[in-house]
Amino acid sequence: MQKRRFSIRYKILALLTLIPVFTLGAFLLMALKIFKDDKMAYVFDSTSNLSGTLASQIKNQLNTIIIGAKPLFQDYAEQGKFSGVSDSLLKNSPNLDFMTVYELDETINKLTMKSYIEKSPQMGEELAPKIEQLMARARELTKKQQRLIFSFDKDDRLFIIERVDNTKQQKFIYFGLLVQLSELEQMFKTSGAQKIFLIDSLGQVIFGPQEFIGEMLSQKMDLNFLKQAEMISQGVEVSKDRTNVDYMVSYSKVGFGDLYVMTSVMKEKALGALGILLRKSVIFFVLLISLTVMISLLASNTMTQSLTSLFDATKKVAEGKFNFQVDVKSNDEVGSLAENFNLMAAEVSRLLSRTAENARMENELRTAKTVQETLFPESLAQLGPLQISGFYEPASECGGDWWHYSQLGDKILLWIGDATGHGAPSALITAAAKSAASIIEWLNVGPAQAMELLNGSIYECSRGQLMMTFFLASYDTTTGEVTYANASHEAPFLIRKSNEPLKRKDLIPLNEVNNPRLGQSRSTTYIESKIKLEPGDLMLFYTDGIPDIRNPKGESWGEREFVKAIINANQDFPTATDSMERISTAFQKFRQGSSLVDDVTFFVVKNNEI
Amino acid sequence: MGKLDVKMNKEGEKLNIQMSGVIDEDVDFQQYKLVGVQQISLDLNGILSINSCGIREWIKWIGSGVAAQIVFNNCPKVIVDQINMVDGFLPTNAKVISFFVPYYNESLGVEKNVLFRYGSEFKEGSLTPPSAVKDDSGEVMEMDVIESKYFKFIKK
Repeated sequence: MQKRRFSIRYKILALLTLIPVFTLGAFLLMALKIFKDDKMAYVFDSTSNLSGTLASQIKNQLNTIIIGAKPLFQDYAEQGKFSGVSDSLLKNSPNLDFMTVYELDETINKLTMKSYIEKSPQMGEELAPKIEQLMARARELTKKQQRLIFSFDKDDRLFIIERVDNTKQQKFIYFGLLVQLSELEQMFKTSGAQKIFLIDSLGQVIFGPQEFIGEMLSQKMDLNFLKQAEMISQGVEVSKDRTNVDYMVSYSKVGFGDLYVMTSVMKEKALGALGILLRKSVIFFVLLISLTVMISLLASNTMTQSLTSLFDATKKVAEGKFNFQVDVKSNDEVGSLAENFNLMAAEVSRLLSRTAENARMENELRTAKTVQETLFPESLAQLGPLQISGFYEPASECGGDWWHYSQLGDKILLWIGDATGHGAPSALITAAAKSAASIIEWLNVGPAQAMELLNGSIYECSRGQLMMTFFLASYDTTTGEVTYANASHEAPFLIRKSNEPLKRKDLIPLNEVNNPRLGQSRSTTYIESKIKLEPGDLMLFYTDGIPDIRNPKGESWGEREFVKAIINANQDFPTATDSMERISTAFQKFRQGSSLVDDVTFFVVKNNEI
Repeated sequence: MGKLDVKMNKEGEKLNIQMSGVIDEDVDFQQYKLVGVQQISLDLNGILSINSCGIREWIKWIGSGVAAQIVFNNCPKVIVDQINMVDGFLPTNAKVISFFVPYYNESLGVEKNVLFRYGSEFKEGSLTPPSAVKDDSGEVMEMDVIESKYFKFIKK
């Protein structure tokens, strides 16, 4: 038997497990992606709103300061210095702490301070080095960019350099304004996952968390998108820092100088809920798959238990063991299969037993056939003047026909009989007949008395269940007379020696007497008749199996053809052997090897007396 | 339905039995009771064959103390052969009223069964066959039996 490679149980288990794994996995991935996209959209939306609002607020506040400072610009441009009005305006300005003026000295090509005003004394002297340093960058201003903004001392103040075109003197005046934006600056200091920056276009942090102020944010993370953002007032990006960590960045152009409000939040933190969802989903997924596997195990066990029982059963069948039953209780197709398998195994077991029994019976029948063959005489004999030649073929292993000859003194006995049916039961009767005949033939009794003795023997053996037709003739070698008795057997034909062509009417049936079959009644009396057997005469003894011979088409040979064969075979009054062979050749030709439906027995007796 | 079909029709004291088919060891004749009537008429025209076991059953049935007078009608050759051969097949209280005799034209291979009736073609101890039996083409047919064997029962 071929070895199992991959059990159907595991196939079912794999099927029941993999389908939910793949479907749930695909659903999980899809759900996570949708959630992630939605979450990112939400974060970007909220941070964009925040950056936009802050940018708008800063722009408004700085523009207000610049508008408030314009009278001071005007005052200096007209007076060449700050008047008391400017000083008064500065002191009343809530956000403006200090203002200085630089002009370009073309002879030495250097910006030099011309004047300044301050909200509190000594401020100018204290701030001078720092302001000098920042004002040096005023030369970076161009026609396109008229304003620069810097953080100042990493605190809540901004330093704005404003280039003003003094058309009257046809030169540029550079005003430096130190403004204080405490409330705004506090908004940028908020700590948490989200960081808010006020940066310039180079990425320098003006306001923001304390540790970032004054730092170049562009050195900490990728801000290349700002270069493309000149024409874009607002945008969102996913940017990486130097450690390759993703940040979700949204930015808004302030519209004042090159300032941008930028918010950044670490993507991992922004999508922290995604991780929670993922973890919970994975736990749920694992639980669901575990439950599926357990159910699958139970289902596959239930489904394959019956099949396994059947598989084990087929192995036993392959080993030749049929005497068992598969115990399957399911009511499905497998249950029906098991039920049919049990029926099949029982039937095969029964057939095997029957085959063994048949084999035993066939052996016994072969033995019986061998034994029965000893009951028959030699097919060719010469007893006194009588030449005898016989033919016998049973329809099965054993036959119900029997013939015999014997001689005691001047009496030659010719026996032929046909038991009811054929086969083994009939063969037993022939054995009984043979046994009785073996004794009777030594008793020197006539055919009628011999028949009565034989009848007694057959009756005792069969108790009326089996009978035998029988014909017994006794030829007296001294008188040439044939005395015969008949127990309902086919009457033999006597064929008188003649020189005329043989015809149907020349077949003389020896039917002058007839009595019941042997075994029909215990007290049957048989009578006998006599007929003279002349030299050259022939006698044909036969059983009724001859007319019943069939050809392959199932057609019977019939009495007409049988009679015709007898006439044709004996036209020249041949020897008994030739007569027998001619008749047997005739029916064998018709028969063409077909099975016999009844035993075939006949023998020819010729009186060779001269 | 068995191999033998038996139809029984009782008309007063007379029982008519019509048989057709095969008589063998499978036939249970004991179901056909032959008591309570004075006369039994058997029409055996439809009997096709009878084997040795069938003969045994037949004799047990018809020869087991039936008091009625029995007549055999339309006996085919297979029945006539058994009447001639088997002692007791035709009980002592029975006689043949009619039987078929096969005729044959050798040259044409034509068969014909001619019905012989009691009082017409035969009676006890004597036989008066038709002077000539002709086939459909008008040719004379030959009796297809060994007369001394086939008509033996008449001479009893």
